[in-house]
Amino acid sequence: MSATTTGGTLAAVGLVKDFGDLRVLDGVELVAGPGEVLSVLGPSGCGKSTLLRVLAGFETATSGQVLLDGEPVTGPSPRRGMVAQAGGLFPWLSLRDNLAFGPAAQRRSRTQVAQTVEDLLQATGLDGFADALPKQLSGGMRQRAAIAQVLANRPPVLLLDEPFAALDAQTRLRMHEWLLALHADRPTTTVLVTHDVEEALLLGDRVCLLSNRPAQAVDLLDVPFGTGRGRAVLADPAFVRLKASVLERVLAA
Amino acid sequence: MSATLLQDAAVGVDAPASRRRRRFGVRRLLGLAVPLFLLGLWQLVVSAQVFSLRLVPAPATVAEQLYAFFFGDPGFLVLAGVVPFTGAGFGHLASSLQLAATGWLLAVAVGVVVGLAVGLSRLARELLDPVLNALRAVPIFAWLPLALVWFGIGAGAARALIFVGALWPVLVAVGDATARVPRSHIETARMLGTPQRWMWRRVYLPSALPEVVTGLRLSLTLAWTVVIVGELSGTTSGVGAMMNSARESGRTDQVIVGILVFATVGLLADVVLRLATRRWVRWAST
Repeated sequence: MSATTTGGTLAAVGLVKDFGDLRVLDGVELVAGPGEVLSVLGPSGCGKSTLLRVLAGFETATSGQVLLDGEPVTGPSPRRGMVAQAGGLFPWLSLRDNLAFGPAAQRRSRTQVAQTVEDLLQATGLDGFADALPKQLSGGMRQRAAIAQVLANRPPVLLLDEPFAALDAQTRLRMHEWLLALHADRPTTTVLVTHDVEEALLLGDRVCLLSNRPAQAVDLLDVPFGTGRGRAVLADPAFVRLKASVLERVLAA
Repeated sequence: MSATLLQDAAVGVDAPASRRRRRFGVRRLLGLAVPLFLLGLWQLVVSAQVFSLRLVPAPATVAEQLYAFFFGDPGFLVLAGVVPFTGAGFGHLASSLQLAATGWLLAVAVGVVVGLAVGLSRLARELLDPVLNALRAVPIFAWLPLALVWFGIGAGAARALIFVGALWPVLVAVGDATARVPRSHIETARMLGTPQRWMWRRVYLPSALPEVVTGLRLSLTLAWTVVIVGELSGTTSGVGAMMNSARESGRTDQVIVGILVFATVGLLADVVLRLATRRWVRWAST
């Protein structure tokens, strides 16, 4: 399969979000460059999900801006695909129809839609399940399918909100390796929100650390393990040390 | 390796379904056990002559009357000195069905429109909810005197009553189901670039259908229930009208024929509706 997507540049500039009197985001700044995976790591309840919903355009920022390739974001769009922990797929549609939903809504031609769906079924290893309903798939399959559903629109930006948090540890690790392989193949700019330090370091090219609520971006780390990494890196002493020190900083944040 | 894994898993998807079907077949047969038992008990009570045959007619007599109701005096049956039906059954049944169907369809039309308004518009919900809840609390048959005055004795009053009885389940189901379409579905659809004019057909409708279908089934059953009251209040044709005149001439066997017809047709109507809507609700069944 060819790399069909070149990622966009997503930037958050001074994002503030209040819910009534409660300030959740307090001037968050971040940039995810083309094809980069940026992990956003923060303590539970710090406003990570809110940040991602603002980036997706589901919530409007109280002040500040979200820019995609310099253009301000004003609402949800097929150019920023978001996948959350659960509930992305439409339960009444077969897997095939779920994957076709976006391209069909974009008025792509029938053959184009069919080709996109075939490609994604291959890429997710779900080609035997095209006619299954979401409820007939396992949790891991459903999350792969939900990511594929969003990728069907070839978005320049992929937003992932704890996409594997509901899965068991082994499935989660498989998902991580799958996502790394998928990203190598389709280098979509990705913002991954997680509370899991290992996930953030394994998947991210860089890690953005958020403070406790109200959230601010307090640090930005490079993850020096290169591309093509897999689960082998988990046993690397350097990785283990980095993970321990980042965990300390998250707990202290 | 991974290909075989997937194939195995694919078989795993199908296998439980077929096993479920087989067990379902056995269950069906089990469902016949109770009616057969009741039939035996009935025959036993008749044979023991606990009650007079005028009060509790024999199953065979009822079976003969059931036949005669639809097909007239067959000639070869010994109808034991009773005047058989003259084969007017289909006419009566058609009349009852027509009454139920028109009342029900009217209720569905109004229920869907008002239900949508209540489900989709907060203003409509706040305006209508108290009134609808109050009206819903009125027992159906409390409307009967008013219906008789407004529409006169006969099909008009019966249809009005069926309409009122069948309205609430549809209205409530449609209102509830559209108000409760999960926000995540709406957001996913918008994020995938769904034009606003598609949202209704591609998100709201399919998401709401299972609950709406449940409402339709409930309301169809109610419509069929109310038919008998409407007809007992004085129509000249219909299964209920037949039962009324059978009661007047003390023919319990013919009254029981009416009950059997109501039971069978009610059951069939539900089965037909369920089969017709099965593909819309398959995803929501457990």
